[in-house]
This record gives sequence, C-alpha cells and structure tokens, in this order.
Amino acid sequence: MEKTASKKKFKIDWKEVKRQRFLLIVSAFFVAYGIVFYYLPLTGWLMAFENFKPRLGLLGSPFIGLDKFKFLFSDVAFLRVIRNTFCMGVLNLATTTVMAILFAILLNEIGNKFLKKSIQTISYLPHFLSWIVVVGILHNSLSSSGIINDLLLRFGVVDQAINFLAHPEYFWFIVAFANVWKETGWNAIIYLASITSIDPSLYEAASIDGADRLQKIKYITLPGIKPTIIILLIMNVGNILNVGFEVQYLLGNGLVQSVSQTIDIYVLKWGISQNDFSLGTAAGIFKSVVSIMLIVLCNHLAKKAGEEKLF
Amino acid sequence: MRYTKQTIIKAKGLFCVLIFTILPVFTSCKTPENEVKEFTAFFTVEGSEISPDNELMDEIAKVTGAKCRETWLTGLTKEEAINQILAKGDLPDFIQGGHELYQANALIPLDDYIEKYPNLKTYLSEKQWDSLRQSDGHIYWIPQFNIAHVPSKELTHGQEAFWIQTRVLKWAGYPDVNTVEEYFKLIEDYINAHPDEGDIGFSILCDGWRGFCLENPPQFLDGYPNDGSCIVDTDTMTVKDYNTTDTAREYYRILNSAYKKGLVDEESFTSTYSEYMTKLGTGKVLGMVDQWWQFYYPLMDYFMTTEGGINYVPLPITISKDVPNQWHTATGAILDVSDGLSITVDCKEPDAAAKFVNDLLSEEVMKLRYWGVEGVDYSVDENGLFYMTDKQDDMTKREEYVVYRRCQYSYFPRIEGLSSDGKNALMSEQQPTVFFDDLPEDVKETFKAYGCETYVDMLGSNELPGPWYPMYSYSDSMGMDTDEGYVWNSMKELKARWLPMVIMSDDFEASWEQYMTEYNALHPEIFFDAMQIELMRRVENGYD
Repeated sequence: MEKTASKKKFKIDWKEVKRQRFLLIVSAFFVAYGIVFYYLPLTGWLMAFENFKPRLGLLGSPFIGLDKFKFLFSDVAFLRVIRNTFCMGVLNLATTTVMAILFAILLNEIGNKFLKKSIQTISYLPHFLSWIVVVGILHNSLSSSGIINDLLLRFGVVDQAINFLAHPEYFWFIVAFANVWKETGWNAIIYLASITSIDPSLYEAASIDGADRLQKIKYITLPGIKPTIIILLIMNVGNILNVGFEVQYLLGNGLVQSVSQTIDIYVLKWGISQNDFSLGTAAGIFKSVVSIMLIVLCNHLAKKAGEEKLF
Repeated sequence: MRYTKQTIIKAKGLFCVLIFTILPVFTSCKTPENEVKEFTAFFTVEGSEISPDNELMDEIAKVTGAKCRETWLTGLTKEEAINQILAKGDLPDFIQGGHELYQANALIPLDDYIEKYPNLKTYLSEKQWDSLRQSDGHIYWIPQFNIAHVPSKELTHGQEAFWIQTRVLKWAGYPDVNTVEEYFKLIEDYINAHPDEGDIGFSILCDGWRGFCLENPPQFLDGYPNDGSCIVDTDTMTVKDYNTTDTAREYYRILNSAYKKGLVDEESFTSTYSEYMTKLGTGKVLGMVDQWWQFYYPLMDYFMTTEGGINYVPLPITISKDVPNQWHTATGAILDVSDGLSITVDCKEPDAAAKFVNDLLSEEVMKLRYWGVEGVDYSVDENGLFYMTDKQDDMTKREEYVVYRRCQYSYFPRIEGLSSDGKNALMSEQQPTVFFDDLPEDVKETFKAYGCETYVDMLGSNELPGPWYPMYSYSDSMGMDTDEGYVWNSMKELKARWLPMVIMSDDFEASWEQYMTEYNALHPEIFFDAMQIELMRRVENGYD
C-alpha cells in the first residue's frame, strides 16, 4: 500500500525502500494491528441491517435493511438516552476541562517544589481507582446517613438528610462531580507540561512591565497553553458520546432511570440482555457516526477560527 | 530399486512403532465403561461452586458413573450470561435458561430419553410432561423444583409474604395482624416505644428485577395467589390488572403516609440488593415484603445464631379482614414450566447425560445428595427416622463441609416430599426432626403464641388455583421483540420509576393520578390481552 502511494508522489525508488526497510517492517506491524483490531471488527456492522441470530451467523441471518434504525428512532427510550448521553457528555467535558486547567494553573503558582510535587501526585491517584470503587465510595457518601449529609446536617445547611441518588435532577451533576474528582489531577498533567514549556523570559518581561500574578496568568499562561487546550478539546469532543457506562450503570436505580441511561446502557440492554444484537449494533453505529461528525465539525470550526487543528 | 531384506525389516519395525504410538491415541478417545464421566453445567442463578474433590460427589459418581462440574452466575444478569454463552458458542453439557435457548436452537429434545429412563418418566405425570412441550411439540427442559411424589407436610413458607421480626410481635403481646393498616400501626407503635434503638420500620427491595417486592403486593392483598404479572379472576376467567385496582391505590397510600412518618427506609429506592441484605444482616429492619429464598438463605447463619428476636415470621395480611389470604400455595402444586434443566446441542453424550439425571433421581442418590452417608452425615433412630446428632448438626453447618463434602446438585431435578418408606423426607431440610431442632427459640415462641407449628401454619395453605397457575411463567418468557413483551417491559420500568415517587410524594393523590395517566399511555391492555389468550389456552389444555 505504502509502495504505490509513495511511487506516485515522491518518486521513491527501490533503493530508498531498501534503506528504510526496517522502518517499513515496523510500520507493517502497526498497519496489520490496525486492520485486525479496528477495521475487521467493522464487518460486524452488517448485523445492524440483518435480523441477526447467533446460530445462523453473520452471513446466514436474514437481511432486513433499515428496519432496526426505524425502530430505534421511533423508540422514545432511545431518544431519551441520546439526550442523557449528550447532556452528560457536555457537562463532563466542560467541568473536567475547566477544572483541569484551573488546577494546573494553581499548581503552577506554587513555589515550593516539594509541596507542588506531592499535591500533584496525590491529586492524580484517584485516576487509578476503578469506577466500581469510586461508585462504591459515592454511594456510601451520598446516602442519607453518608458523610455528605452528615456534614450538611451538622453545619445546619439542611435540616433533613437529602437522599441525593433518589433525585433525578441531581444525577448528571453527581456524575460530573465523580468525573472531576477522579480525573482532574490526571488531566492537569498535560496542561502543566505545556505551561512549563512557556518561555520564562516572557514572564520576566511581564514582571518588568509591572504585571501582577493574575495578569501574568491571563496574558501569558492562558494564551501559552491555548493550542493544547484546543487540540484536547477537539479530541474530547469526539469522545462526548463515550460518556461512559460504568458510573451510570452502577449509580442508577429505578427512580433516576429516565436520566441515568446512556447509549451504551441501551446497547447492553438490547444487545446482550434482550439478545437483539442487531438493534444494539444499530445504536452503536449511530453513536460512532455522530462522534465522527462532531469531531470533523469541531476541527473545521477550529480551522476557521485560525486555531490549531487536529487534521 | 530392489528392496533388501533389511529395508523391509526396517519398514516393518517402523510400521509397528507407528501402530503402537497411534493405537493408544484412538483407544483413549473411547471411554472405558468403568471410568467416571465428567459433565459441565451452567446455572443462571448465583450459587457457590463445590470443590472438584468433593467427597459425596465421588460417592454419587460410584453409583451413577458420572459427575458434573457446576458453574453459576457471577456479576452478569441471567440474560447477559446466556447471550454471552450463545454468542461465544461454547455451551456446557447441561444448562438452565428455558425459552431463549430453545429459540436459539441450543437445546436437544428430551422426549426419547424421558421414555427410555424410568425415573425421568415417572418424575412428572403425563399431563405435566405435556405442559412442557414447546411449539414444535418436543420437551426441552425438566423443571427441578416443587415436585413431590408423596407430599410431606410443608414446614417453611418459601414464598413471598409480609415478614416481621419476632421481637415486634413479642413486645405487642402477639396480636392478630391481618391488614396492611394493622401491620404498619404495629411497626409505628413499636418504633415509638423504642425511639433510641435506631430501627428501620419497613424496607423495600427495589433493585432491578428484584423490584417485584415493591410492585406485586397488591395482588396478594386482594386475596389472589402469586400469578406474578396479573390477577386471574376465577369467576369470570379473565385476566385483571393489579396495578390499577383500588387496593393498589390504598396500599401505596398507606406506604406514602408511613413514609411521611419515617417508617419506610428512605434508602430503599436507591439501595442495591447487597446493601439491602447488609441492612437485614444488622437485625435493625423490623419488616419487609420479600420472597423467603431471597433474604433467608444468604443470611441463614446470622438468623440461626443471633438472639434478640431478629428472626422473621410471615403474617397473613390482606387489604381488609374479610379478604382471605393466598400468600402460600402448596408446593408440589406449583410447576414452573418456563424454565428447567436442559441438555445442549454441544453435549457429546446426550444419552449418558440423560442417564445421569435419571440416576440422580433414584432414591439412593437423592439420599446421598440431601442427607449424605448414614452414620457419617446423619443417623437413624430405632423407628427408622433419620435425624442428625448434635455433632452431625454442627459438622454439616461448617463451611468446609459445604465445600468439600456436601454435593446436592441443587439445580438438577430433585424429588421433594417423603421417600418410599413413607416417613422420611427425601431432603433433610424437610425432615420435621431436623427442622424443629434448627428452629430458633424466638420463632418457636412466636409459633406457640399463635398456636402454630410451622411457618406455613402462620398463613394457612392453599391448593393449586387452577391449571393456568402461575401466569408469570408466560410473561417471563415474553421477548421484547413482541408487542406485549415490549409493553410489559415498559410497564416494569414505569413502575420502578413511579412507585417510589408516589410513595415519597408530598401530594399522594396528584402523584397517583399522574402515574396512572402515564401508565395508561403505555397501553397495558396489549399485554393483558396477550395474557388472556394464554390463560384461555392453558384452561383449554387443562394441564395440572
């Protein structure tokens, strides 16, 4: 593949190929990896257009065209999970990004190197906890007799314990909070790295011009890390619909099901529990297509605004 | 080229070597008659695995010539587990899963084996076997439970009920509690009299499919048995909806006012099953509606060993005094045709597998499964009655006994009730001597106060309502690709969301109206029409 492409454009002869044979061999592995693990599984998308039955197999199942998609978009439950997924995705993206940038800047302002390092290390530890643990902690602390209610009661903020998980209106924020708690430290690392790469002479010049701390942050740090922020945002927008599955699945209950279920849970429910692999696949395709569209759109907008872009 | 003698000898030698190396490979494929066969089984419930070197498993293998390695559900739901197995395509020899597996062509018809093996043939009546036939006229699974050839006296109410801790009854002087109103009054009085004990009045299990504890009491309160998804009115032979009755409204109104008084555990609606069990395991929950098997077995040790009146007894509760209760239906009467043990298409020796099931049903093996070996696991008194000495009783309760010695094959078909000697129960837990020895003091005291001997006496027993019972075996097998299945599933989701809201609502009447509006918008009649058709089919077929 590379050979034909390279011949047309760059006129690379056999000698060049021979010289780069090691690189070619190495890259061949990655191409093979990509084909086997990313492109071949896509044949499974066929299922969405068939009435798939495991015993009949992918090629033996009857073809039904777009029926599954028709059902999908007439199902109120599916429209609801799109809304939930999208809202939670946006909320998560906004809160985690803002918090990570804020945290990175604050951390950068700490002069004491030891303090800075220890805070950073501690803050990204939650990233390594699995969701089931985090949800367990959340479940305990948010229950009527949990620590949060305990504190609220003792400080007289409320006079009756609030059962947070029983209120649909809190659910998205609880999920966003959980994400922020778990990922802020980890996400801040990349912003911190990009802050360190800002030329120190800029700060010196600003000091000489009489800029205070806040002004330095506003005029040097933030513009300095702007390309990083934009690139990460574009990448994460593509992930908006991957808002997850574990938190919502584990935290959800009958009362909040109308706001807690995401596309992934819908796919699980139909695909695995109800044995309708076709419908599950259709929902999955929808999710992938929307994600690709989002990322292209975002990239295009960034290009238009004259900012960094991904491709 | 000319073959020399030497080359021929060499070739012969080589040939011999080849034969001798290949021959054992072929012969080893054939299992000699005396070798123990090993089967695999998967059951769609949570269970504990027994050790491969379990002692009674070997004893049973001596009789049956086979053993079975059982695996159980972990983490996944039943449907997820089955679909995963189907998608991967490696089925165990035995499986339990019913309709879905049948539709996926994963099961083999058992008719011929049932004819061939006598214990299977006599396991159920001809009519009962017929009731298990699927759309293609064959039988694909064998129900495992509630089958007794000589019924014994039922001791435990292994079904759903309003349960209450004995300490509450004791404190109130063992009053008659017959209605929901009286039940919550009793709990309220007890809590008011013991304000500092931090008791939880009433807890409701709402986690996923276990949510029936929340939604199905109205059928019982109107005096109907557990058809599970509908009421069957025997006067008109029609299916009725228990979600919309006046009784349902009244029940949730009472729950609503109990909630406002702080009697209902407010974490009920967000707790998982394990959190609920943890709560019961503290002994603080005074009462709940639940199935016996759902709360008792996981906490059996705790219930047996803890004093202070934390054990639960069932109460004969209905909506008003003049409605007789049907909480308890005589087991042996209940044949759940929706599910059972099946042999899969991947089983290499289906005949041997069927023979294994047949052998497990023989009285000799039934005793090994549920009693053990005479003199070791149980003893026989001068009248020929089985019992356990204190030492045996202690031994059989230990964890290592359960893992390394007991081998019940608990999800294989079994025969309950009395053995052919007419006096001993085939299962030790149904033996009166064992039952009464194990009964905690507080429960004994309560039974005595109410003039009862067993859990069942607390409620009274009811005969099989009719050949259609239980209707839930049909609604459970509905796929979501049918209209009625889709509606049924939406109804369940709606109830899981609305009933907690109704119970917690500040304005009960308004919430109930809104709930009913949304409920009716789902067109529940689609579901009930399908149930009516099935009811008529079952009545006409008249199986028992």
